[in-house]
Amino acid sequence: MTEPDVIIIGGGPAGLAAATEISRSGYSVEVVEQRESLGGAVHRQPIAGVAPINQAAGPKARWNALAQAFSAARISVRHASVFLGVDGDGLVLIENRRTGRIEQARPKAVILATGAVEKVHPRLGWQMAGVSTAGGLQVMMKETGRAPQGRVLLAGSGPLLIAVAAQMARLGNPPVAIVEAGDPLRRVGTGIAMLGHAALLREAAGYLSQIYLRRVPWLRGTQLVAIVRDGENLQAVLRRRDGSERQITVDRIGLHDGIRPNDFGLPNETTASTSRPLIVRAGDCREALGAFAAEADGRRAGRTVTDLLSGKRDRAGLDHAVERARLAQATLAELFAPLHGAQALRSLPDDTILCRCEGKTVGDLRRLCDRADRLTGREVKHNGRFAMGACQGRFCAANTAALMAEISPDGPAPSTEDLTGRRWPVRPISIAALTGAIPPNTENE
Amino acid sequence: MTGQSFDWMGRRIPFRTGESLAAALDAAGIRTFGPDALGQETRYFCGIGACQCCLVRVDGVVREACITPARPGQLVEAMESRHD
Amino acid sequence: MQSRPPSSAIVIGSGIVGAATAYFLARRGIAVRLIDASAPAAEATGAADGAVSVASKRPGPMMAAALKGVRLYGELADEGLFAGAFKRRSTFIVAASDEECAVLDAHSAALASAGVRVETLSETDLRRDFPALSPQAKMAVEVHGEGHAIGYQIVHRLLTASGISVDRDTRVESLRLEDGGRRIAGITTSRGSLTADVVVIAAGNGSAGLLGFSGVLTPRKGQLLVTERAPALNAAMRGAIMSGRYLLSKGSQKAGHAPPPRGLGLVIDPLVTGQFLIGGTREDFGKRETNDIDAVSRILKDAVALVPGLAGVRLLRSFAGVRTAVVDGLPLVGRIPGLENGYVATGFEGDGICLGPVTGKSIVQLICGEEPDLDLSSFEPARFASQGAAA
Repeated sequence: MTEPDVIIIGGGPAGLAAATEISRSGYSVEVVEQRESLGGAVHRQPIAGVAPINQAAGPKARWNALAQAFSAARISVRHASVFLGVDGDGLVLIENRRTGRIEQARPKAVILATGAVEKVHPRLGWQMAGVSTAGGLQVMMKETGRAPQGRVLLAGSGPLLIAVAAQMARLGNPPVAIVEAGDPLRRVGTGIAMLGHAALLREAAGYLSQIYLRRVPWLRGTQLVAIVRDGENLQAVLRRRDGSERQITVDRIGLHDGIRPNDFGLPNETTASTSRPLIVRAGDCREALGAFAAEADGRRAGRTVTDLLSGKRDRAGLDHAVERARLAQATLAELFAPLHGAQALRSLPDDTILCRCEGKTVGDLRRLCDRADRLTGREVKHNGRFAMGACQGRFCAANTAALMAEISPDGPAPSTEDLTGRRWPVRPISIAALTGAIPPNTENE
Repeated sequence: MTGQSFDWMGRRIPFRTGESLAAALDAAGIRTFGPDALGQETRYFCGIGACQCCLVRVDGVVREACITPARPGQLVEAMESRHD
Repeated sequence: MQSRPPSSAIVIGSGIVGAATAYFLARRGIAVRLIDASAPAAEATGAADGAVSVASKRPGPMMAAALKGVRLYGELADEGLFAGAFKRRSTFIVAASDEECAVLDAHSAALASAGVRVETLSETDLRRDFPALSPQAKMAVEVHGEGHAIGYQIVHRLLTASGISVDRDTRVESLRLEDGGRRIAGITTSRGSLTADVVVIAAGNGSAGLLGFSGVLTPRKGQLLVTERAPALNAAMRGAIMSGRYLLSKGSQKAGHAPPPRGLGLVIDPLVTGQFLIGGTREDFGKRETNDIDAVSRILKDAVALVPGLAGVRLLRSFAGVRTAVVDGLPLVGRIPGLENGYVATGFEGDGICLGPVTGKSIVQLICGEEPDLDLSSFEPARFASQGAAA
């Protein structure tokens, strides 16, 4: 196989849309996908023999159309392949997990479509077994057709919680409760604004009716403030808007506080270079706006790359769908805004884990920053070890930066990037694979 | 169900074709994959290979259980279970 | 020569040398302003391999300085300042070929002649006592009395202990001179002017412009790697490992001969966290922002050849730093030629971590009219005085 002109990282809606767009223009393109199947997280496919879980008709139809168009374009996909980054010499590095080797490529362009990661605010006990993300529970449901078992609590904030709750209910195990920090039903004005996004409203209505039918408590204006082990169980401590607390005993907890681009350590976009590939971002990893926008943004990125490669000067602006999605997301964010959001970090107990991979707590950060000398993000990282672990900051860098900004409000807030850096490997990689590096233009096994 | 399985710490774990190790282990009721190097509980968290919380050793190689497909006859162990 | 100790000082550069200098100044009650163009340990100090070591040295001024550097680390660790931040461990120089064994034998004898405690381990000894090492290892020399320290941690300790707040993001633009150019009146920075009795330039590669020296300091990039935790393998490593092949390349360089534009010197260090630090390159070109797969895979191939167990460990992070080298291979430590109250301490190339604290202590002793711990005669900046006067 000769080297493709364009390599696309991520087989979700943005990646597939970009790939299909590029294939129409005559440039060769290949998709790199870490799993064995396509779809990303939002369109995680069921395994063979399992019916797809309930999905709104609109998104489902769009995915089918996209998957068909992609398939018809006969675009090559490297499955079980993980993008590691672009090295100092401009080489694209990919770990092929089937062969256990590194592949190097020198495409003309790279489109990064790595999607989003969930935000998870730190809470006492969030690092325990039995606690996962709500989205994590959702993708496993999509893959297996099975709801998570036992007494499950969903907690955090955002529309994904009700979607997961409804999907679990349809699969026969509704959650014991949904703990939602916001109160969408109180924000009537904003709710009315959602009428402008009919498809989303329809989807939400579908979820809410399931939740209502199954009598799943939707505890709005309520925060999960602590998780405590109680034998084999988990005790969830909830705080209502009036400050009173209650506890629920459960088996599993799914946390979710929103989504952010999964752009940790990713190389910056470059649209003019001789020694490095052009790099363009598409979909949620550029801006977390959801699947509909991701597909449109993927097409836009594909057009941008083909325009750049063929030397066209004026490039495609952001798709109209993206602008609409921004409005929708802004409205949703307002609708689901936690009632007591600002206080959350400040009131965290010292022994709340902040960086799980390194076992570092909120107290560790407070002690480190308790000095007249205002430390930079990098100094906090190095001397506190925050974001120095295996997740490379994906689940702790933003929380650490936010907490630092609260602790030392005078002066510029550190950025997430100050804590994560921007070097390859963007994922941990086995040394065995690195020592058998395969140079470009070699047959892919 | 085709009767295929992999080995998890001496236990036969059945799986369906296409399932990830994490999904199969979850179906078997396994909630944690052993302590990591810091002694913390490893477990399924994000489901997309990002958080590095679900690490296991698969035929000797450290992998995220959530994005690694189960295959018959795999030897899947807790990360820190070997001491050579 | 200062007639009495200064009451105020400006230290330019908050790497390990600058931070140590500021610490020792502050300890004497001297009012210190510590200025950095970016932040503490932002450059070479923050990307160092951390060797506090004489193992790779030949007898001479750098060996003598390194011996004192290592000793001071031990003292400061025992006193408490560096407690938990300085790990005492041996360095094992490993030879994997007959040629390397011959060079290593000679090197070992040289180390012994300088008073370093060395012990030779035969192939049999290694199989029995150091099983983590590959069977390719034919012989090793254990250099006792060595250690490891993480540069940014040491800087953090020094700054915390002295209570100094660093002027970050403050680029020094020039020295303001008076008295016919014989004294520094103060400095001009991107955030305003400062004055002090004494100025110390410890700015690594940023020193050249301020010193007005041209063609004296040269940047030398180094790439390094950090793995995930591998507690079992880490515990099985009795100390740091240095490839004897490194000595081959170093030995072939005499002073004045340029080293190759890109060289690899393998060091594998077991960190207290259970991770491994693996290095590294010496490169005359290249930016500190990047690592390349070519260097990384070569370093790791060499590492796995000596410690096969590393193949099962994951690489977590790559990074790079740019050392400050001097054309003749010796640092610049002492008065800036032509100035009564200006000092420089830079050009430590790969020895900055080892020599940082003892250099800081010595420069402050010099400033205060005392006999410095280090013999600074070989590091005299005036040897380059013809290469330009201070800016």
